[in-house]
Amino acid sequence: MKKLLETRNLKKYFRTPRGMLYAVDNVSFVIKEGETLGVVGESGCGKSTLGRCVVRLHDVTDGQVWYKEKEISRLSRKDFRDYRRDMQMIFQDPFSSLNPRMSVSQIIAEPLIIHKMCANSFELGRKVGELMDTVGLARRLASSYPHELDGGRRQRIGIARALSLNPRFIVCDEPVSALDVSIQAQILNLMQDLQEELRLTYMFITHNISVVKHISNNIMVMYMGTVVELAPSPDVFRYRMHPYTKALLDAAPIPDPDKKRRREPLKGEITSPIDLPAGCRFAKRCVYASGECFSSDPLLKEYRPGHFTACHNTEKINEL
Amino acid sequence: MPNNPGSKESSKESVMVSKRNQWGDIAGRLVKNQAAVVGFVIVALFVLCALFPRWIAPYGYDDQDLAKQFVKPCAEHLFGTDDYGRDIFSRVVYGSRISLSIGLVSISFSCVVGVLIGCVAGYYGNVLDNTLMRLMDIMLAMPSILLAIAIVSALGAGLRNLVIAIGISTIPQYARIVRASVLSIKDQEFIEAARCIGASDWRILMRHILPNCMAPIIVQATMNIAIAILSAASLSFIGLGIAPPTPEWGAMLSAGRAYLRNHWFIVIFPGAAIMLSVFAFNLFGDGLRDALDPRLKS
Amino acid sequence: MSNRLLEVKNLVVKYRSGKTAVHAVNGISFGIRKGESLGLVGETGAGKTTTALAILRLIASPPGKIEGGEVEYDGKNLLELPESGMRHIRGNRISMIFQDPMTSLNPVMTVGDQIAATIRLHRKKSRKDAAVEARNMLELVGIPGERYNEYPHQFSGGMKQRVMIAIALSCNPSLLIADEPTTALDVTIQAQVLDLIEKLKREFDTSLLLITHDLGVVAEVCENAAIMYAGEIVEYGNLRHIYKGTLHPYTQGLFESIPNIDEDVRRLKPIEGMMADPTRLPQGCAFALRCPYKDGGCEKNAIPVFEPEPGHLVKCLKWSEIKGSDRRKRLEERRGERIA
Repeated sequence: MKKLLETRNLKKYFRTPRGMLYAVDNVSFVIKEGETLGVVGESGCGKSTLGRCVVRLHDVTDGQVWYKEKEISRLSRKDFRDYRRDMQMIFQDPFSSLNPRMSVSQIIAEPLIIHKMCANSFELGRKVGELMDTVGLARRLASSYPHELDGGRRQRIGIARALSLNPRFIVCDEPVSALDVSIQAQILNLMQDLQEELRLTYMFITHNISVVKHISNNIMVMYMGTVVELAPSPDVFRYRMHPYTKALLDAAPIPDPDKKRRREPLKGEITSPIDLPAGCRFAKRCVYASGECFSSDPLLKEYRPGHFTACHNTEKINEL
Repeated sequence: MPNNPGSKESSKESVMVSKRNQWGDIAGRLVKNQAAVVGFVIVALFVLCALFPRWIAPYGYDDQDLAKQFVKPCAEHLFGTDDYGRDIFSRVVYGSRISLSIGLVSISFSCVVGVLIGCVAGYYGNVLDNTLMRLMDIMLAMPSILLAIAIVSALGAGLRNLVIAIGISTIPQYARIVRASVLSIKDQEFIEAARCIGASDWRILMRHILPNCMAPIIVQATMNIAIAILSAASLSFIGLGIAPPTPEWGAMLSAGRAYLRNHWFIVIFPGAAIMLSVFAFNLFGDGLRDALDPRLKS
Repeated sequence: MSNRLLEVKNLVVKYRSGKTAVHAVNGISFGIRKGESLGLVGETGAGKTTTALAILRLIASPPGKIEGGEVEYDGKNLLELPESGMRHIRGNRISMIFQDPMTSLNPVMTVGDQIAATIRLHRKKSRKDAAVEARNMLELVGIPGERYNEYPHQFSGGMKQRVMIAIALSCNPSLLIADEPTTALDVTIQAQVLDLIEKLKREFDTSLLLITHDLGVVAEVCENAAIMYAGEIVEYGNLRHIYKGTLHPYTQGLFESIPNIDEDVRRLKPIEGMMADPTRLPQGCAFALRCPYKDGGCEKNAIPVFEPEPGHLVKCLKWSEIKGSDRRKRLEERRGERIA
């Protein structure tokens, strides 16, 4: 399959009063057409910033974003407009991502109006109706306001808005985190159906490990702005090569009383990546950390076919 | 399954892309709010007086009858007469025209300019924000009445200049309020979503940000109508506003001040008119703010 | 059972606004023994938090009102206690941890002083003794004592939740109510906080009522679980009953909605539809609308509670059918494979 999106050494730094914040540092990945890349990590690991850099809601500090064989991170706003249609985003919070003063139909129609995709209001209405069918929203809700609907329906509005421009690629930023599990399953199924039917490519950002496993082809684990592990989804769970990946997977509670988590929880907490010293960013919390970890940055290396890890001690830990 | 993307029972039909008939909803919510209804009725009465003073007032506003100075309120002169024997009720009725128009016109002017400045400053930030807001700070540092005096004395007295002076002096208040709400709304996800679908800055400001910061603007505007009426009165008092015999509530108040001790009705009634209109505008404004928000259930 | 610490009987709570009433909690009953930990599981709007607030009589009234039932604690009905007696219970005998540690702490008071203030509120202690004890509490929850004089904004989310736990346990309560204590936290921090709660619970022999939407968290911390739906407890039992011998279709639906780490399922099986409107609950079973097993009988009358095995309660007419159904078998097979 063809590459659809690629980033090369993507960097996004923010200047803060306390120093430079390395939100995304040297991130490279490839997403093939029709596949899903899951991006996991805890809050503050830079996964949302990364997603926003890809769709140009943030300008990148350094590095490149390639979409269909073209570098797009430095296009002018006008030139980027054409890519807007292809690259859309679904947001986390179905309560704040919809303008409370607009009706459901207005929200879904807005992209079509901006990009002048419908000749007249009849055609616009028909398109909006179709989109509502596609995401499973009853048409009688067209003139409702978002606050009158529950979280699941609101998230469907967000999905319909993203689909209205016929995108190829969608960044999904925690699309189900704010939803109850039964509704979450409905939305996940919907997103999978849409992916198959419309041949969509997803970048799926989440902190929920079981969700990311369910939906992704490849998984990228991030920690403090860097990629620590990148591999096909089953491999991440089977080999869990990086110590942080191990800790993250172990920490997730399992709904099964026979499988009680009986391990040392990860010590310490994630800190903001501000003015970092050299060395592995996870070293301070890592049980395997050795002298080298505190002096030089580990690079992402391929240890098994398609399985990349950034850890000096990968071989030692995993007995490769 | 409700989420089966294949279900296209009615895919040929078109959906109305619009809001529900919003005015009906707003009116419905407004009617439920008793305080707002009271405010609305009083405002409506004043507007009627302003539109048709001739039909309501029993006398002309400058009909003098020196034989009837300082008549106490009675059937013939509801509010009594003043030092020239003019009917105070008639003057209050005619005065509503001047006072209300000063209030409404100056507030519309300052509201539009102030909101624009606030939006631009809040949305674009950085240098533009700093420049505009420091300018507003300088204006705020001067007492608004002094600023108005300076403007009127530069432009000359008269109704139009009075309106301009009052309008300019209240611009910073709107700018500050709007900037603050723009800053808080700007970071919400639906603004990012709008940028993501390619909306222009202008569209984001007008369709997404501004409608969501109406509440404080409306409250401020209705309160400022009151302040504008009072400012006009003060300016008239020091001779920079409306020249007598034109009946302006503030001017009447200040002209009658000398007789307060013996003839209370000369100042009480214009004063009551100011108070009542201010009160009514505030009630109505509060109600309007709530009614305009679709999140509050009717 | 006689050694029940807390016994809730037929608790009914409604919120009224205008003419409509939201039926938040509809006659639920459960008990907690000394040292027991019970997980109260349900989705948004199931009435979990309302139940907890009702136990402590913290429901804002109006619009909320406890319309019936009993909350028996240590032999006393808390619902009949005068407000002064209730103040003695709250924070002292029964304390509560809230979901959002960011807003539960006073931003202008040092964390140490906040713990000390709670201690002084319920115990006759000098300022100095309370401060010493507060410092001990901080260290107990894994925060170095020298951070006593820091303010909440200097703490991360996980650390704030530790402070909340220290405050909640500072008077050695016999019951701790934790309302989604880890929902706002990252998984690795959640694991730390859960471990801490478990450890302290054992150390202090405190009973725990853990409110959560996460079946995984309950499996980790609790002995018993109660599944709530639309203001009712639809299934109650020990972990084995609930996780291995699921009998209520809603509980089944919850399990099937969760993507599982240990197995690959192409499609999830969500529960169809949405929670019943709490202002217009149906006469019969509130879950009937979404239930694949329902028949005419389910929608007619209120559903009685069945006890298919000792200690396993289920509020469903169809439990015997569910016990033998394919769906259940499949569920069991899946679990079996995973353990293998």
